[in-house]
Amino acid sequence: MTARVEIKNLYKTYFRRKWLFGKGESFPVLKDVTLSLPENSVLGLVGESGCGKTTLCKVLLGIEKPTSGTVLADGKNTAEISKTVWKSLRRVMQVVYQDPYSSLDPRMNVRQVLSEPLDIHGLKKDRAERETFLKGLLASVGMSETFLDRYPHEFSGGQRQRICIARALALEPKILVADEPVSALDVSVQAQILNLLKKIKRERKISMLFVTHDFAVARFLCDEIAVMYKGRIVERAPAEEIFTRPLHPYTRALLAAVPRVDGTGFAFAAGTPGVEPGRENWACPFAPRCAAATEDCRAHRFELKEVSPRHWCACGAISAE
Amino acid sequence: MTAPVLTVRDLRVDFTVDKRTVPVLRGLSYTLEKGRILAVVGESGSGKTVHALSLLRLLPPCADIAGGEIVFNGQDLLSLSPSALRDVRGNKISMIFQDPSSSLNPVLTIGEQLEETLRAHRKISREEARRQAAHLLTSVGIADAEKRLNEYPFQFSGGMCQRVMIAMALALSPDVLIADEPTTALDVTIQAQILGLMKALQQAAGTAVIFITHNLALAAQIADDVLVLYAGLCMEKAPAKELFSRPLHPYTQGLLNSLASLSQTCEELPAIAGNPPVPGENLPGCPFAPRCNKAFDKCRACLPPLFEKNGRQVRCWLEEPK
Repeated sequence: MTARVEIKNLYKTYFRRKWLFGKGESFPVLKDVTLSLPENSVLGLVGESGCGKTTLCKVLLGIEKPTSGTVLADGKNTAEISKTVWKSLRRVMQVVYQDPYSSLDPRMNVRQVLSEPLDIHGLKKDRAERETFLKGLLASVGMSETFLDRYPHEFSGGQRQRICIARALALEPKILVADEPVSALDVSVQAQILNLLKKIKRERKISMLFVTHDFAVARFLCDEIAVMYKGRIVERAPAEEIFTRPLHPYTRALLAAVPRVDGTGFAFAAGTPGVEPGRENWACPFAPRCAAATEDCRAHRFELKEVSPRHWCACGAISAE
Repeated sequence: MTAPVLTVRDLRVDFTVDKRTVPVLRGLSYTLEKGRILAVVGESGSGKTVHALSLLRLLPPCADIAGGEIVFNGQDLLSLSPSALRDVRGNKISMIFQDPSSSLNPVLTIGEQLEETLRAHRKISREEARRQAAHLLTSVGIADAEKRLNEYPFQFSGGMCQRVMIAMALALSPDVLIADEPTTALDVTIQAQILGLMKALQQAAGTAVIFITHNLALAAQIADDVLVLYAGLCMEKAPAKELFSRPLHPYTQGLLNSLASLSQTCEELPAIAGNPPVPGENLPGCPFAPRCNKAFDKCRACLPPLFEKNGRQVRCWLEEPK
């Protein structure tokens, strides 16, 4: 299986200049991220706010430039290619954002929204062909063709997200980046959109990078899950494995903190900040919150290691088990 | 059973939009006893926040309490004078809002804001207020309280701000605490921590809590009773354990089925079709009927009342006693 996206040793640091001549501050957001997204599979990226999930999407989409490291999308190194090649790459790689309210232009009707990418890339120029295509596109996201002349304000959140998904699919991409596509939606609508994304993956053989903070959602949709903490991938495994055999203390803490409908398995204070004070300067970034930390964690930060086939984990305490 | 702290009877709230009257709450009734946690669960537009705001009469000017009663410890809150209401707000009924960082005043220190709350309701000296404020910060798990009292909200993280909000809300040992989506803006681990803290403080003081959320699982973890709101109507109310193990209303059943599960995966989620209704599009029948797979003619024609059944309440014709 070849990889649609290959990210190797990616670093991204944001800089802020303090004052005109002053020394700036740097904020490392992504640290040594290595990921690959195979064909026809969904990679879930799970982590808390501020851990770098969205920055990773931005770098992949070319909105931000990597500080170092390489990003290969569809075999092309995104840092080196020209603008023309980038344009062709956008046909291959599309995005769905979190907020369906701010990601649609209120002055464009659905027909214009869905036609824009086709116009930019000079596709489906024949009027009749375009019309059939747009209707088919709407149908594929579960919407009626009569909606083509309506404006975004006439739709609910779930319907808007369907339009955003249709727009992303207009160019028939091979890679879809979905940045928290259901977290802004109502509970009863989330399931519809999740089913739609799963159907799209099945029917169109799309590779998807699915960013979420919701483990239950990730379990439903993803083939593989990567857990991110402070800009690093701390654990990566096939989805089933993450839930049946989580290894990293952070993954365990996250799973224990997810409230469940049956009321079981919930830890009110697992892996919370400030549990173990005085470890702020330890090598392992999770040490201040970790119950399993040992003396080793003070001096070493453990790299991602393949502990069992396809299961990677960056924790010394666990590898020693 | 103890006497209820708060009784809400047939509460109706209308909004006036473009000279049109839009009913947002269409007759909500419940009682809340001391030391109990009632979760009010609903989607956006279901009226859950409007209900919370109306309890403290904090509704925006375009909203109008069209009818009903809110009885708190024997007083009708809807007929109180502004000064009497001031005594209730923050003192006897307090509230935690959704977004912690925007609910604190950015130009005042944490200490000034906590002391202001204390001094507004208690005749105490500045020194005493400061001492109590420091004690409160410590009680919500903030270390080095003396120093942190002099800091501003921007120096606190989201979870820390929410702790301050909890400290402020519990400062005067209120009888009722209204928590409006208190953890929605927070990460799951912080959420677990904040909930643990709320529950511990609530149990210690015997405070009654109204916990408003859209997250069913969260309600399952924290609440004693759950009230499911849909289109401004109570669809189902039951003790939490019973509601989650045996939901009666098709809407509750649909919601619970459509949740992605942490413990197992499936090919397709049984989603509820359609969208939640927009406030104002009031149908003659059950508001859930258009999305309900069990709906029959009667559902579309007339609104079912709340049927009582084994101490539970459910608004569905299928549960009509024979």
